[in-house]
Amino acid sequence: MPASLRLFLSQPGDRFRTARDELDSVSNVLTATSLRKTVHVGFRRRPVEILKGVDLTVGRGEVFGLLGPNGAGKTTTVKVVLGLMRPTSGQVELGVGGLDRVGYLPENPYFYDYLSGREFLEFCGALFSLPSDVCRECVAELLRVVGLEDAADVHLRKYSKGMLQRIGIAQALVNDPDLVLLDEPMTGLDPIGRLEVKRLIQRLHDEGKTVLFNSHIMADVEELCTHIGIMAGGVVLWTGTVAEALAQAPTLEDFFMKTVRPA
Amino acid sequence: MRQTGAIALNTFKETIRDRVLAVIVLFALLMIVASLWLGSISLGEEGRVMKDFGLVAVTFFGLVVAAFIAAGLIHKEVEKRTVFVLFSKPVSRAAFIAGKFLGLAVTLAVVVAGMGLFLFVVVWVIDGAPTWMVLAAVALIYVQLLVVVAVTIFFSTLGSAILASVLGICVFIAGQLSTNVLELTRLGQNALTEALSWVVFVLIPNLTAVDVKPAVVGEQTADWGAIGLWCGYLVAYVVVVLALATAVFRRREF
Repeated sequence: MPASLRLFLSQPGDRFRTARDELDSVSNVLTATSLRKTVHVGFRRRPVEILKGVDLTVGRGEVFGLLGPNGAGKTTTVKVVLGLMRPTSGQVELGVGGLDRVGYLPENPYFYDYLSGREFLEFCGALFSLPSDVCRECVAELLRVVGLEDAADVHLRKYSKGMLQRIGIAQALVNDPDLVLLDEPMTGLDPIGRLEVKRLIQRLHDEGKTVLFNSHIMADVEELCTHIGIMAGGVVLWTGTVAEALAQAPTLEDFFMKTVRPA
Repeated sequence: MRQTGAIALNTFKETIRDRVLAVIVLFALLMIVASLWLGSISLGEEGRVMKDFGLVAVTFFGLVVAAFIAAGLIHKEVEKRTVFVLFSKPVSRAAFIAGKFLGLAVTLAVVVAGMGLFLFVVVWVIDGAPTWMVLAAVALIYVQLLVVVAVTIFFSTLGSAILASVLGICVFIAGQLSTNVLELTRLGQNALTEALSWVVFVLIPNLTAVDVKPAVVGEQTADWGAIGLWCGYLVAYVVVVLALATAVFRRREF
């Protein structure tokens, strides 16, 4: 069965699938098996293999940092997980009951600039078919959490990059997801913005949610993550806990370099 | 359903808040006013010229809104990567296409109704009596424009936005010639031309069938039964085109 179909089948309408998932893997929120993705670029449709057999398992309640150099395939992996891209082969299984239970923050988010922050979040809530009164309440709460109460009725076109990143995180949480995927959540933020995003991730972890994020910033990863995966050249080279990584090298940075570029 | 409604509302907000729209409507109203002057230089034919010219203005500016805004609807979402937000949530491609179409359909309804009512009032003032046919003609122009929106959305799922606008307008023009194509099938000069003409007639929407401009200016009477049936046909045409657009868009990756 193609992975996109599996994703589709594991949406909440399909009770059987969800129940089986829970029996299968009580602890795994995300399982990707031998994901391959080839895209065709240029006029001559030259094939380029971005993912060359990605295996990845993320357990419930983990904060999972996906590390890797530019072009390693981190963003593509996340897109395949979400069904934004179809894998050429391989499978994705979500242990959370489909996209209903997933939140996603894209890299360098850009949203509808003619909407206010509040309108945008209410729109996102409606996409999850939340009843409008529940939605309104939850939007007000989220705006408070990400510190955008004062800018709630300002059009997104007037938001700074940091504010966009925060509204982006808010939209990823509007459905109270069990699995949150954040693509480069700290990139381009000032120190205050980074600290706030870090606190948010910590808070999600404390609430028992599973968070997977891509990052280049080792210090953040070391501080926040319980588990890490290191990707390069379209494959996952290593996965394990941060403690395991630190047992093999003095710093996470050293461990990363050792894994990505073995001597 | 909820998703389609939300996307439609969002599309409506997007398009109605677009400044370009205000400019287009302003131009349309100016054109209608200009028709007053055209009427005044046409000896004894003021009312007729006004109605004719006014309806053409409504059609033209409606077409500009339909073709140019529809082409950007999907293109912008893909280009600015807001599709990531949509399709990472449980939103189907069908709900997306339907929502985009319905949102612009509402905006277009506001725009066309505004222009139509303005024309209706102007004609009333000039003629001294209301010409209800003007309103019926405007409603039928709206139906034609919905076809253009659907066709343009379909072409925009294939790629280029500009090409989609151009092709949308082409289909509108071809639709105006539809009856001529049907004539061609009847000439029966050779089997190939006849077969080709039939294919063209089936592919392009028959927009002339719901054009009541001649009836508005009193050249002929409108056959409302036939017009009703042809409206049903155009709605079916829109549904088929949107289904095709969904099928194409399903294959897209982001």
